Amino acid sequence: MRPAENIGKLIKKLHTAASAELDKKVYSEISKALAEDKKSAAVGPSVWRIIMKSKLTKLAAPAVVIVAVLIGVNRFGGSIDVASVALGNVLERIEQSQAFTYRMKMTMTGVMMPGTPSGKRVMDGTVVISNSYGMKMEMTMTDANTGREEMTQQMYVLPDQKVMFMVMPEQKKYTRMEFDDDLLARMKKQNNDPREMVKQIMNCRYTELGRSVIDGVEVEGFRTTDTSFSGGAIEDVNVTLWVDVEQWLPVRTEMDFKMNEQMEMSGVVYDYQWNVQVGASEFEPVIPEDYTAFPTDGMKMPSITEEAAVEGLKFFAEIVGQYPKKLNLINLMQEFSAIKDSEHPTEAALKLREEMKQMQKEENIEKAVDMMRPVQSLGMFYMTLLQDRKDPAYYGDSVLPGDADRVLMRWKISDDQYRVIFGDLTAETVSAQQLAELEKQPGE
Amino acid sequence: MFGTGKQKDNLVLEDRLLIRKFNHGNRQVLGRVYEKYKDDLVTLAVALLFDKNTAEDAVHDVFVSFIKSCGKLRVTESLKGYLATCVANSARNKMKVLERHHSVGLDEVAPISAESNSPDLSAMFAEQSQSMAYALRQLPYQQREVILLHLYTGLKFRTIAKSQGESINTIQGRWRYGLAKLRSLLNSEVEK
Repeated sequence: MRPAENIGKLIKKLHTAASAELDKKVYSEISKALAEDKKSAAVGPSVWRIIMKSKLTKLAAPAVVIVAVLIGVNRFGGSIDVASVALGNVLERIEQSQAFTYRMKMTMTGVMMPGTPSGKRVMDGTVVISNSYGMKMEMTMTDANTGREEMTQQMYVLPDQKVMFMVMPEQKKYTRMEFDDDLLARMKKQNNDPREMVKQIMNCRYTELGRSVIDGVEVEGFRTTDTSFSGGAIEDVNVTLWVDVEQWLPVRTEMDFKMNEQMEMSGVVYDYQWNVQVGASEFEPVIPEDYTAFPTDGMKMPSITEEAAVEGLKFFAEIVGQYPKKLNLINLMQEFSAIKDSEHPTEAALKLREEMKQMQKEENIEKAVDMMRPVQSLGMFYMTLLQDRKDPAYYGDSVLPGDADRVLMRWKISDDQYRVIFGDLTAETVSAQQLAELEKQPGE
Repeated sequence: MFGTGKQKDNLVLEDRLLIRKFNHGNRQVLGRVYEKYKDDLVTLAVALLFDKNTAEDAVHDVFVSFIKSCGKLRVTESLKGYLATCVANSARNKMKVLERHHSVGLDEVAPISAESNSPDLSAMFAEQSQSMAYALRQLPYQQREVILLHLYTGLKFRTIAKSQGESINTIQGRWRYGLAKLRSLLNSEVEK
């Protein structure tokens, strides 16, 4: 061994323990600092600051966008209206694969919520899907402007147990969410599943782009810009699927979405591996013993039912003072959080703010998550109506809370019947003719 | 010691998380940072100053500023390197104070314990490290500093040079002279 290495080894053996006196002095300084933090926290950040600043919200906000995209873009479509031999072949080949993996990179640009700076976030994910065990996704979120990694997480969707786990190694936290049957049925069919992507494209107007070459593989492209791809939940859609012309399996999917005026998302799904061997153990969430549950552990995912949607409308109106103008999930979140800048908050908003001032930080997070759930239910319910082509309409920009005579929202439930939610949040089933009368504008 | 091999990778990962929280002003991490590095930092300071009380003062001063800078300062490199550099700077300042009192150059200042009747080496280091401690004590301060920052803390010469505002050649020169002297002082042990 070289002398320098030997000297290095000897030097590394040097050890002197810090004295109890030093410990006492340093911990006293730390305690002082923490007491200052507590004091400033007691002054009471507003509910909005808590929502915007909490780690969970930072996690939840992109997660909501992802859920919106998962549900909106890749939701299990209905019957396939458009015959397509080529895409039909692709679908058939994909369905023969019992387990597969792929990677995705999504870039979100813009203002996610009012009051937060415009940003650019990149999500890199690896997904494994098994027909037998469920879905596992590992994801890293990076601030594209600074290059700083903001979060990593593993997500497990376990259909048999009707639960979803999210594990966050940095925070040494995990959360477990239960699905209701409706959401579970949908989740079983989606998760950026290429099968659903193909079905959705087949359900839309699309163009065949002809042949090209990607990474040395000859591919054929299919592109749709049809907004019904997302059921109208996304303003602008541009999705291109490239399939290997020999295997008839997807090679790459490119997506560009304009969610609304403030936010855009682009992404690519690539590196598909078909018929991979997976074991049950891969889908068992790995939660080390020293990880603790978020206060939301065991929380339920938003329900996607009429009742939950009405609850969402009621809650929104109580807090904001009016109905949301649009029911697009992103708009809903933005509109709801804009209340923090409102010069005339409602009594309910003030009361809520007061309540949250009295709570501990952990309780605040719980409350914030609880609060967002009905709003998310509302957005997700409307999105499914759009995607199911139930002829939905929403008039929140002109109907006020209490308007018992005006249709706030409606959708088709059979050939000749519509379900209507009125401005006073009562609901009725009416005929198409009755609906036409109800929707007539004064003077028409 | 600051960690090796696989353990080192884990420590680096934990450091990244600690830095992120620290940069975001989360002062809950301060206790963990202190616990993680206190002994290493005290050891470094003692090996520089050879006086445990002054060494602990240096570490205390570093942590007081570190606590105050939480959320204001952005640590972008290794946390251990950052703290070790701060401790070395703090120790150097204490030596300079001594230098002013005695009107001699930094490298002429005897280790504090030599003058202050503080406990001897055996009270500061375990028996197996006595000869190394003795040899280090014989080195001029600046050479000792480079040897310790490079070998004990794992800092690169470039980083040491930057933190001290010196050229890399100067730092490498101190390293070479310091190492040669240590080798001659520890001849029998080094050749083992």
